Amino acid sequence: MKTRTPLGVITKGSLIEGLEMKLDPSQGVEDVKAGKFVVIEGAKNEFFSMITDLRLDATNPEVLIHPPQEDNPLLHEVLNGTSTYISVCLRPMLMLEKGQSLANDETRPVKTIPPHFSRVSEAEEADVARVFGSESMGDRYFNIGTPLDMETPVCLDLSRFAERSNGIFGKTGTGKSFLTRLVLSGLINNEKAVNLIFDMHNEYGWKAVQESGVGKGAFVKGLKQLFGEKVAIFSLDPKSTRARGVQPDHEVAITYDQVAVEDVIPLQEELRLNPTAAESAYLVYAIYKEKWLRTLLSQDGKDIEEFAKDIGANPISLVALHRKLKRFERYPFFVDRLSGPDAVDTMMDYIDRGIHIVLEFGQETSVLCYLLVANIIARRIHENYIHKSEKYYASQDIKDQPRQLIITIEEAHKFLNPFTAKQTIFGTIAREMRKYFVSLLIVDQRPSGIDEEVLSQIGTKITALLNDEKDIQAVLTGVSNAAGLRSVLASLDTKQQALILGHAVPMPVVIKTRDYDEKFYRDMGCLPPEERKKKTKKDIADLFGEAGEVVEDLVAVGSDRPGNVVPFRKR
Amino acid sequence: MDKDYIGEVIESSTGDFLAECLELNSSPPFGSFVKVAGRSPTIGLVFSVSTHSIEPNRRPTAYGKTEEELRLEQPQIFELLKTEFRALITGYIDTTGAHPFLPPQPPRIHSFFHPCDADEVRMFTDTSDSLRAIMNAPRLPTDDLLIASVRGAWMAHNRDTAYLVTMGKDLSRLIRDDYDRLSSIIRRIAQ
Repeated sequence: MKTRTPLGVITKGSLIEGLEMKLDPSQGVEDVKAGKFVVIEGAKNEFFSMITDLRLDATNPEVLIHPPQEDNPLLHEVLNGTSTYISVCLRPMLMLEKGQSLANDETRPVKTIPPHFSRVSEAEEADVARVFGSESMGDRYFNIGTPLDMETPVCLDLSRFAERSNGIFGKTGTGKSFLTRLVLSGLINNEKAVNLIFDMHNEYGWKAVQESGVGKGAFVKGLKQLFGEKVAIFSLDPKSTRARGVQPDHEVAITYDQVAVEDVIPLQEELRLNPTAAESAYLVYAIYKEKWLRTLLSQDGKDIEEFAKDIGANPISLVALHRKLKRFERYPFFVDRLSGPDAVDTMMDYIDRGIHIVLEFGQETSVLCYLLVANIIARRIHENYIHKSEKYYASQDIKDQPRQLIITIEEAHKFLNPFTAKQTIFGTIAREMRKYFVSLLIVDQRPSGIDEEVLSQIGTKITALLNDEKDIQAVLTGVSNAAGLRSVLASLDTKQQALILGHAVPMPVVIKTRDYDEKFYRDMGCLPPEERKKKTKKDIADLFGEAGEVVEDLVAVGSDRPGNVVPFRKR
Repeated sequence: MDKDYIGEVIESSTGDFLAECLELNSSPPFGSFVKVAGRSPTIGLVFSVSTHSIEPNRRPTAYGKTEEELRLEQPQIFELLKTEFRALITGYIDTTGAHPFLPPQPPRIHSFFHPCDADEVRMFTDTSDSLRAIMNAPRLPTDDLLIASVRGAWMAHNRDTAYLVTMGKDLSRLIRDDYDRLSSIIRRIAQ
């Protein structure tokens, strides 16, 4: 292995509080950044660590009281590293025996510390591959970016990622959507799980505007463009979807009969429901069953009190509930009767076939609408999955094993705040759905608003910059030795930098996220039109030989368009 | 016999020696290194130079004339003067190499000495051992000797700034708590 560049030596520290390194005076302190990935070479083990803090120290307070004059550069240099020196706080994250590499699925918590004066070096490219694996080691590894100031990719273990619920956090404008699109691309490309994405701002399916980087302001490809028929766009607002030049694969309509009381109750905050609203709704439901909402909304305002008396509900409460639920009627996707197949059945069909779903909300971007629809759809998919899983557990036949499903939700704190997490279906999924093959990908800018119990169950957290102390605290819930990571998290760049910690990486690491550019498209198998044509020609020639020319003419038209739309398959 | 010699040892002890120069006022510079010839040549650092009467009981008298005038009018008085210097022993050389510590035997009386050349200076100043010897020896003009010897060694190292910084750092470790003293020495070295 190439000799690593030494940074300094370990001078003190403890297992609990982390280690302290004296920076070699030949190293400029400004080149050493929080979050950097370094290796401590102990006698037997190598400790892979992260820089968490840097401190200016002096052996003699006199120096600080009478700092050397600017015109005395020699004194400056002499003092650097002797009377004045830099202490760097390190947090060992992973321990490996020298020369050993990380075997699959094995995590190595740090159980000891290196001896005094152990050398600390910058991690080399080989070290990164040793710890994080590489894409060449199998399709479970997905390159998500590079450590700070390095070129070797850090890989996310997608198999482990898909096993649990995950979170992507960061304050607004730090690239959450970008990170999410990146992770989703990895999951789709490596086929580790089927995704259902509740796309509130229409930024995952088709084109989205790039907010930073080289091509700022330009449009980047959406998942449908990258993966073609592997992704289906469902739209709640087909007009808006078409206006953006996209043909949805399926238009989603919901009937009133598909709304359960459980879908409405979590909207307490958005609808300003009274505490008694649930009771009233359940009273209606007790009599009219699934037609409860249709029946309630069909009542005229003035008849409600009468209606309340009939079913034995509190008239004032029911009047309020009626008035508030009336807002649903202005949503265009609510229909009396379905004209086509049921959206959730279609989704399940797609999911079973391994096709990923992006549900676009078009112009229906209100939080109320998002919560309502996500609740309705997720609840029914959840029921389906429980059913499928039970069947699988009964038959123990691998054919019956449901595909791992990851549901992506934005504004997650609205679903998973301490008040609603116990009521919404997403709370249930986050807590216990791992055994039913469903997990969540939570995208949120306000993690402190999410229920602690849910947060502590999140497997992998990918976090862009967070400033609010409460948010940082929330993200680091359930992380041991979180103190050092706190400063790292607060010092991330606002763009293209993220801290990854948890189940899918052997140790927390700060990365510069991978560019979402032509090269990425190519890596995901999406070639530019000319190359696509060439490849098609070659494939045809390989398949049909001479006779291929006829076939070639037939496919030439369709191959121009990336991600051509798959017609909806009727059930 | 060594023809380049510029004087000989006239008093010797384990830690330092006194030497008389061949010519009046021709002492090696303060803070420079000299080598005393012998089986194991001893290296000394000049820390005190004096010129006085050869007779302990006689003192030179002021004549109110320049040296040139005196040399024309009364050349004999210069024959009654001698220049001596004291040197701190900082190491020696034997068949196995250079050693930055005191020799087993002090230099012998009447041994000749001559100034160290640049190679020899580098041999004994690559590390800061000579600085430590200066710091630890009693009754020396320590700070000025440090400055002079470091500057001399720096010349021998072709005015290499990195060398100066290394010596400065070693000095700062030796002086430790006395920041004022350190900054004063460093400032004067850099001038």
